[in-house]
Amino acid sequence: MVLSSIRVLELCDEAGVLAGKILGDLGADVVKVEVPGGDLGARRPPYLGGICDPERSLAWLALNTSKRGITLDPEPSAGRAVLHRLLDWADVLLDTFAAGTLEMWGLGWDAMHRQHPRLVRCAITPFGQTGPHSQLRARDLVVVAMGGNASMTGDPDRPPLRCTLPTSYYHAAPEAVLGVLMALQAREASGRGQLVDVSLHECQLGTLLGGPGIHGTSPQPPRRGGARTGRTREIWPARDGYVSFGLRGGPARIPGLRALVAWMSESDPPPDWLRDYDWERFSPNTLDAAELARLEGCFGAFFASRTMRELYEGALARRILLAPCNDAREVLAHPQLRARDLFTTIEYPEFGASIEHPAFFAKASDLSVGVRRRAPRIGEHNDEIYRALGFEREEIAKLVAEGVV
Amino acid sequence: MGESGVYAGLRILELGMGAAGPAATRYFAEQGATVIRVESSVRPDFLRLLHARPGEPVDLDAAPMFALLNPDKWSVTIDLRKHAGVDLVLRLADWADVVAQNFAPGAMEKLGLGAAQLLARKPSLIVATSALFGQSGPQRHYPGFGGQGSAIAGFNHLTGWPDRESIGPFATITDSLSPRYVALLVAAALLERSRGGGGQHIDVSQIETGVYSLSELVVRCSANGESVARAGNRDEGASPHGVYPCEGEDAWIAIAVATDDEWQALVAAMGAPGWAREPRFATVAGRIAHQDDLDAKLGAWTQQTGAYLLMARLQEAGVPAGVVQHLGELLKDPQLAHRRHFVPLDHAVLGVLPYERSGFRLSESPGGFDDSGPLLGEDNDLVLGEILGLSPAEIEQLVADEVIA
Repeated sequence: MVLSSIRVLELCDEAGVLAGKILGDLGADVVKVEVPGGDLGARRPPYLGGICDPERSLAWLALNTSKRGITLDPEPSAGRAVLHRLLDWADVLLDTFAAGTLEMWGLGWDAMHRQHPRLVRCAITPFGQTGPHSQLRARDLVVVAMGGNASMTGDPDRPPLRCTLPTSYYHAAPEAVLGVLMALQAREASGRGQLVDVSLHECQLGTLLGGPGIHGTSPQPPRRGGARTGRTREIWPARDGYVSFGLRGGPARIPGLRALVAWMSESDPPPDWLRDYDWERFSPNTLDAAELARLEGCFGAFFASRTMRELYEGALARRILLAPCNDAREVLAHPQLRARDLFTTIEYPEFGASIEHPAFFAKASDLSVGVRRRAPRIGEHNDEIYRALGFEREEIAKLVAEGVV
Repeated sequence: MGESGVYAGLRILELGMGAAGPAATRYFAEQGATVIRVESSVRPDFLRLLHARPGEPVDLDAAPMFALLNPDKWSVTIDLRKHAGVDLVLRLADWADVVAQNFAPGAMEKLGLGAAQLLARKPSLIVATSALFGQSGPQRHYPGFGGQGSAIAGFNHLTGWPDRESIGPFATITDSLSPRYVALLVAAALLERSRGGGGQHIDVSQIETGVYSLSELVVRCSANGESVARAGNRDEGASPHGVYPCEGEDAWIAIAVATDDEWQALVAAMGAPGWAREPRFATVAGRIAHQDDLDAKLGAWTQQTGAYLLMARLQEAGVPAGVVQHLGELLKDPQLAHRRHFVPLDHAVLGVLPYERSGFRLSESPGGFDDSGPLLGEDNDLVLGEILGLSPAEIEQLVADEVIA
């Protein structure tokens, strides 16, 4: 297998850790580099059992599976020399250094490519390696704002929104991995590595599915609509939470609308006008406001009187396009996800804990996709990896004493 | 992209509808692959109908979203309900390296075009299927769109205000997240195949790619019983962290201050007003404890200035800040212009539209797009004549038999 022979050196903050995990879960040998003492920014709260300890960071445990871990401070010259040894070993450098950082160390792409011609460097930054915004500082919220998605997300009477977990990193990670695999494919023919310049911001535009081209020059572009898509409601209160159900027409949705009305009439006969409603002519954009309110009143009352689970089970049986807005517990309990064995349990004996993780991002008949090992402890594989690179025990001890490792 | 891309010479056959399918193969078209899209006017891709109004004749070539998601692809119209149509698709599968499809599970199997059937005929084929729930499991036939996928995977619960509906990020996140995983899996399978690996079936569940991305959510719940919930724009470890009003209509700036240094930079940029120097705001913990007050005071300051001017000032001071850009503003974004993100291409019906590049650039393999999204059946003669080697008389007969339709 090619992938299991690919060696990845990962020097990433939170914007890049998922990319390293995907490569590791694909079978690549991923070595995660932390500063001595651990990357306390990435080993952030909350902690397992609420006990403040960077080894117990749940974000760390979640996003660093299938990696081995070493410590290294690449800034001092002794650390820089070690970094070069690691770059000789690696096929891929995956990093989130701010644009210009490696250049200051004399390791800009031209120099790196000269010294390590087969190496692929995948550099993930907020806006890219060059250009007028390449020096701007950004975290997820800023990326989602600049990328256009926030302007369309949220309620019209409140500020634009992001998702509470950092989706801009989630979008960029698989795209970065795709770039790495493309560069490796090109290397098969050329024998040479290249720079994969990933922009979190540019990846974020992919979430708009062509939005700038569709609406960007419109005199009346759509605005964020909260629980509504256009004029009609998409998110509805259920008795114990919310469900997603687009009150929209079209051939794909009409059978479900009819099935929903039929379901409603099982318990409580609907008014004649609703039972005989002509869904073929239903057009949310031109609907009379009073009629819209009447429709939403009927559906809304039905949804509000039932639990998310009752509604989803009914929708499954009747092929209605309705889904529960699951929270974490409901995601973990979802029968379909369970039936596909999406979750795997990892043991953490030193904490006496077993934790479920998503096990894979796809099933494949030949590629082996899935979590291979738990996230590394701080410097867990220092000896193993530095020895394999040819460092003698005394050299390693000296680096440790100097605070480089 | 002609001959210069990483995947020049690669052949992809695409069947399906909607956004999630074409977004995956577009990455390969951008790098030179030939992508043939099988469509039909009998059952048109619903993206070709999105602009339609009930009761009015619809031009299947006038949908901007379809065109924007399918640049550099070829369109052939084949009626899959006809035996001769299925036979043509089998012959195209013989031509292809990759078959990508996102029909409902079972639909292709009924026609004899399922993954197992194609692989039995041609073992070296890479067959990628993408469906809401994947190809197995008790709920695989559930007919959902991305709106349902986002809700089930947990993104809706994570997006919105704590006191309002769980709305999900704009434009159904699983539709933009899952194609990236499909693409990287195809790239991984191609890399294996170039070193002697065989064909295979890649089974992507759009919801599972979402849950995998939300590994942190799953692990925090499994480990600590916590269910992360939507928190507006707030962050557990940073403050101020929000979207604040600026001068002008629907004008906003995102500010994400995570460190005390960044806070001091923000205080200085504001001219060190008395309130900002209060000790309760000096540490992250203090700012989080008093963030309602902090957000109100900061918002009163931001709304005196235009968003772009304020972003420039704050970034100059070292504060992570960015304008909430509207869709139209993205078309004028100088960084996107620098990266040539938008590629203006002429379309026979829609005129010039801004087609979008992926979020990364390869230093040695620039890639790009040359042609707008195809008209329905635009490449029938090319595909049937040059690729399948049919004579003009044979093609005429297929048209007469309404196999080509």
